[in-house]
Amino acid sequence: MDYVAELEKDVRFQEALHSCLNCGVCSAICPAAEFYNYDPRMIVTTVQRRNNEEIEQLLKSNTIWYCGQCMSCKTRCPRGNTAGMIIQALRLLSQKCGFFTESEKGRQQYGLKKTIGESILKYGYCVHPILVKPELHPEQGVIWEWVHKNMDAVYDRLGANLYKDGAGAMRKIHQKNLDELAEIFKVTGGEDFYDLIEKESQKKAEEMNMSTAEDNNEYLMHVLTYNSNEHQE
Amino acid sequence: MIDVLIIGGGIAGIQAACSLQDLGLETVIVEKEKTIGGHLNDWDTLFPTFRSASEVIDYYTEETRKRALTIYLNTNVISIKKVDEGVFEVQTSRDVLFRSKSVVLASGYQLFNAERKEEYGYKIYDNVLTSADLEKKFRRLNGQPFKTPTDKTPKRIGFIHCVGSRDEKSGNHYCSKLCCVTAVKQAIHMKQVCPEADVFCCYMDLRMYGPGFEEMYREAQEKYHVQFIRGRLSEVSENSDGTLQLKVEDTLAARPCRIQADMLVLMVGMEASKNTALFKQSCNLECASNRFVKPNDHHIGSNQTNVPGLFTAGTSIGPMSVFDTVNHAKSVAFAVNEYLKNSEL
Repeated sequence: MDYVAELEKDVRFQEALHSCLNCGVCSAICPAAEFYNYDPRMIVTTVQRRNNEEIEQLLKSNTIWYCGQCMSCKTRCPRGNTAGMIIQALRLLSQKCGFFTESEKGRQQYGLKKTIGESILKYGYCVHPILVKPELHPEQGVIWEWVHKNMDAVYDRLGANLYKDGAGAMRKIHQKNLDELAEIFKVTGGEDFYDLIEKESQKKAEEMNMSTAEDNNEYLMHVLTYNSNEHQE
Repeated sequence: MIDVLIIGGGIAGIQAACSLQDLGLETVIVEKEKTIGGHLNDWDTLFPTFRSASEVIDYYTEETRKRALTIYLNTNVISIKKVDEGVFEVQTSRDVLFRSKSVVLASGYQLFNAERKEEYGYKIYDNVLTSADLEKKFRRLNGQPFKTPTDKTPKRIGFIHCVGSRDEKSGNHYCSKLCCVTAVKQAIHMKQVCPEADVFCCYMDLRMYGPGFEEMYREAQEKYHVQFIRGRLSEVSENSDGTLQLKVEDTLAARPCRIQADMLVLMVGMEASKNTALFKQSCNLECASNRFVKPNDHHIGSNQTNVPGLFTAGTSIGPMSVFDTVNHAKSVAFAVNEYLKNSEL
């Protein structure tokens, strides 16, 4: 596949890459670069070289998944480039080609699809207290575990209308609205996109000998919790 | 009617008047400030020889006196009009309407206002200066020990290249070309007055294009141990003790860094002077996308503009060194002379 040609079809890529003079302001301001072994400038120069093999490597790497999309790079670049937007185009291409399952950070796409991605369609919320399951969020600690167990009482006390009909914070979203949301996803290609993430992730799960069964999703737990700890070296 | 009206009494304007006089033409100079010499008055020393800027001004002051050049000081040009028969009518703040056969724009440049680059902290943090501020500091030094604006002996001083140059965000996409060598000169000067201090330059490309420039860069490294970090400054913040923290990527090592400094010098670039836009309006003068006057021919007619009889000398067409300015001002005399020879006036 001609990745350069594919990228050039993406309006975000067209807008975000003019020419890079390698000054480094994007990397100097980038919060991810401070934390990870990561340099947004290098991504820009790699795509600027328009070398297909190098771009394929990039699409299969952890590198394109470190960016937190804060777009600080956009505010600084003296040539009007936006590394964060080039990364959006690279991520989409990586997903389309199924390359995202080749890297640890890329595989987490499956986790996002399964949690936030499905929640929005099922509940009308990306994140909702009932969805923040303690086993998936050990960082929330024992207090959250307790809140989760006593959720109805806690949220009642705080004046919320937790996942019930009628008005109020964290209420149940009406089926009519959920249907509308599903329709939007269908028409705009969101549904196909989810199917693609699902299909490619299933393939990878099989390859890694992990189950993706509803009641025992080993692969999901793996992508959400595994850390090779090789990202800062 | 005068032969040539020269707008600007900096070195370009005075040199142009001298050369035109040598060719037998009558000139009048109008200068908006109260003295001649323009920006050179604010400068301490000149690259690459460290010659005192006042020596050059003294030379031109002496020429002005010897040649009895006509100069109107404290005079602003309000408009330049070319009337039907090809005569220029120049309206000034003195309520005098000058009529001339030709006009030389020697109106120079203005320095980039570093406050526009807010993330660099100029006029926000005390210890952030511009290259022009530093020259003024050097001028006033008179052998006294160098102190930062917060009255400390600096241990680490950073020079930041390309401030307001090669930067779409400041609206200036072009290279100011002189800031690189000025930074090298000032870094050396800094080491001479503060030998104990670490001095570094954050640059993107070092444009050492002129005679003696590369040699000076080498001397800065070998003799003065000035450090050159290839990376453009992204952001400055102030520590509680008034020192500064710089965020910059060392692009050759591909690592984002935080660098501490006691004082920072912003190498401000050259911009078209505000008056250029004013002249552009009043006589259909064509300017380039960088807002400087567009030479009619980049290679063999850089003194000519799109308006016949209207010429340029010096930095009204773009950033230039003293050396280039003087040469450009000399060449305008020949261009004007040729024009007047063939003109009906």
